[in-house]
Amino acid sequence: MGTEVSAQLDAAPPVKARLAPLAAVLRRRALQAVGVVLLVSTACFAIVQSLPGDIAFRIAAGRYGYDAVTASSAAAVRADLGLDQPAWQQLFGWWADVARLDLGKSLVTNADVGDELGLSLAASLQLAAAALLLACAFGTAAGAFAARHPGGLVDRATDAGVTLARAFPPFLLGLALILVFSVHLGVLPAAGHGDGGSIILPALTLAIGLAALFARVSRDTIAGILASDYVGFARTKGLSARLVYLRHVLRNAGVTLIAYLGVQALILIEGVVVIESLFGWPGLGHALVHAVFWRDLPMIQASALALALLVVAINTAADLAGLAADPRPRNRKAFQ
Amino acid sequence: MNLHVKDLTVTHRGRTLVDVPELELQPRRPVTIVGESGSGKSLLAHTIMGTLPPELTARGSLLIDGQVLDIADMANRRRLWGRTLALLPQEPVLALDPTMRVGGQVAEGFPGFPARRREARSAAGTLLKALGLGASAQAYPHTLSGGMAQRAAFAAATIGQASVLIADEPSKGLDVGARDELAALLGRHVEVGGILLTITHDLELARQLGGEVLVMRDATVVEHGPAGQVLAEPSHSYTQRLIAAEPSHWTYPWMDRTAPAAEAPRLVSGRGLAKSFGGRTLFSDLSVAVRAGERLAISGPSGCGKTTLGNILLRLTAPDVGQVSHAAELGVGRLQKLYQDPALAFPPRATLGDGFRDLLRRHRLDPARLDELLPALRLQPELLGRLPGQVSGGELQRLAVIRAMLLEPALLFADEPTSRLDLITQEETICALMEQVDRQDCALVLVTHDESLAHAVAGRRLQLGQDTSTSRLAKTPA
Repeated sequence: MGTEVSAQLDAAPPVKARLAPLAAVLRRRALQAVGVVLLVSTACFAIVQSLPGDIAFRIAAGRYGYDAVTASSAAAVRADLGLDQPAWQQLFGWWADVARLDLGKSLVTNADVGDELGLSLAASLQLAAAALLLACAFGTAAGAFAARHPGGLVDRATDAGVTLARAFPPFLLGLALILVFSVHLGVLPAAGHGDGGSIILPALTLAIGLAALFARVSRDTIAGILASDYVGFARTKGLSARLVYLRHVLRNAGVTLIAYLGVQALILIEGVVVIESLFGWPGLGHALVHAVFWRDLPMIQASALALALLVVAINTAADLAGLAADPRPRNRKAFQ
Repeated sequence: MNLHVKDLTVTHRGRTLVDVPELELQPRRPVTIVGESGSGKSLLAHTIMGTLPPELTARGSLLIDGQVLDIADMANRRRLWGRTLALLPQEPVLALDPTMRVGGQVAEGFPGFPARRREARSAAGTLLKALGLGASAQAYPHTLSGGMAQRAAFAAATIGQASVLIADEPSKGLDVGARDELAALLGRHVEVGGILLTITHDLELARQLGGEVLVMRDATVVEHGPAGQVLAEPSHSYTQRLIAAEPSHWTYPWMDRTAPAAEAPRLVSGRGLAKSFGGRTLFSDLSVAVRAGERLAISGPSGCGKTTLGNILLRLTAPDVGQVSHAAELGVGRLQKLYQDPALAFPPRATLGDGFRDLLRRHRLDPARLDELLPALRLQPELLGRLPGQVSGGELQRLAVIRAMLLEPALLFADEPTSRLDLITQEETICALMEQVDRQDCALVLVTHDESLAHAVAGRRLQLGQDTSTSRLAKTPA
């Protein structure tokens, strides 16, 4: 018959085979990062070029003040920055600079874009991390409580809360929080960075919408896991309810939630832009909005690029965490 | 220690699902309950265990370990789990946590875990080694075969040294070799003085376990006695029917059929086929032809590549080496496949009738053909108004037979069509299928791990994976 089966099922896979999925993730995400850089920088460039009005006049206004803007100062700016070159030359010049990791100087302040970006990035990451932590903690906890009795009182109350939180756009939610906590109660600062408690309101605004999503997903995931065969088996093995939760429910819920986190990265970044502007938080979103206002092209491109790469970075981290948490290979073909 | 059940009933909205006045379980005397799906045998096991769904009402009393427990209160058995009462679950592949290594899942059942983590670890290692899984302690469940997963689940269920072991359909989906290993494992639990209650529709497993056999039907025990007697000389008509449903006892007109003449046209010819998965060679240099009207069975243990070979012959999967050619008469719709799990082969949210209407419209078939086939396969037309999840597995598989046969195929590929069904339902389904195959003179390729079914149905047989060891357990010292 010529059939031979060499069963190697018992042996653990060699190290090389275990690292292969890791390498595949890194390769795929690295390619994605390169694509994102090209696409985002080109799109930014095209959008700024197509904005109405002469860029040189806007930049001159930013540099010297509105009163000092004349045709000659605009011409000086144009010559200084090479804005009289053809568009494609400017674009290629920018690409070449990015390849050398040189993000250029701000057209307005003449400061090094890389330095400014570093400060903004740190502030944004601080805000995003705080929001994510809050959202994860409260959202997952609410979802876990709701999942204990699907269809019960807690479940329905959580459902209502989730709907309400999602129905509020972040800027409205932010304003409402400012009105309550800063204006009426006066317990928290409405804006600023660094001084006591200034991060609380922006992080809370961002976290509430995210927490609602987390609650929804973790509720469905955990309810499914609690009804699964392996949780039933863990119980009849004699494990206490607490051990079943710690060893089986959380671990499996984590696999789904980590994957979901990657999907939510985009919403997080989008929220960061809006919230930072609202609360005057000096992060990437704030920097982007200001750069757009002053037509500070290198700053626009650099901050948009940083935001886009942040999405890729969060997704890469989620992929790697997923690989570590879930040993099952993806797209595995079943055979009999 | 004995386990004594008295006046056990399970009801759902006034309907009685289980009614067993008395059941006595003793050490060294295994008890096996057989019967078809829906007879209440699984519910009986879960009532004793205390894992019944809350919408069912149970009554009665349970004498265990010298104390009397009220069966209605499911919570009073919880503290016995793992130490006195253990459950070997159905479908071990689903009962093992996919994200945790096997060793950890066994160790956590050790009494005193997690405080005595180190002892638990070494006890789990010893137990797994004794079961021939020493190398798999660090493996994740998805890398185990069905039989290995069953042994891992056995280790996890019994590491707490519970004296009462309840096994609920433990051989579901296992091939013959793995089933024999399982019978040996359960037998070992009995030998060391344990109490064993097994629920199964697999009569061969009941024979191997010995002890006492109870036959359940419609919520009650219709016959009981020593296994040898009940299974060899059944006195109740239902038990007789159950035993006659084993493929080795079948006699049907469609069975005696001469093989098609050698000049019958070849529908499918595969030449020099080879396929491997993840470094494992499933088969190589294999040539298979299927002629018009022929019945070919592909059999072998789980994981030997029989479904893969069938899919290659259907050109659903590409071989690594070799070629498959189809005759011209296998045009649109004349090649049909019957799937192992019919629930996955029907869209879950569309009524069955809607699905059939679309099929009739798509192929411009006469709706009268459907009206003709439904009674021929002993199905009520009302079923068409339901969703796939609202009919039984046997009914759904017969509907799948109709769906395939409506197109008058020249070749039907049936992939383990009855491996998830009980014996009587299997017989009904295979009969319905074979009557249609016979009437339409259609060629059949049947994939199965059940040699007696292959023997009953097919004129020609192809066995894969003959050289694999069927009993890995026997090789390791106990």
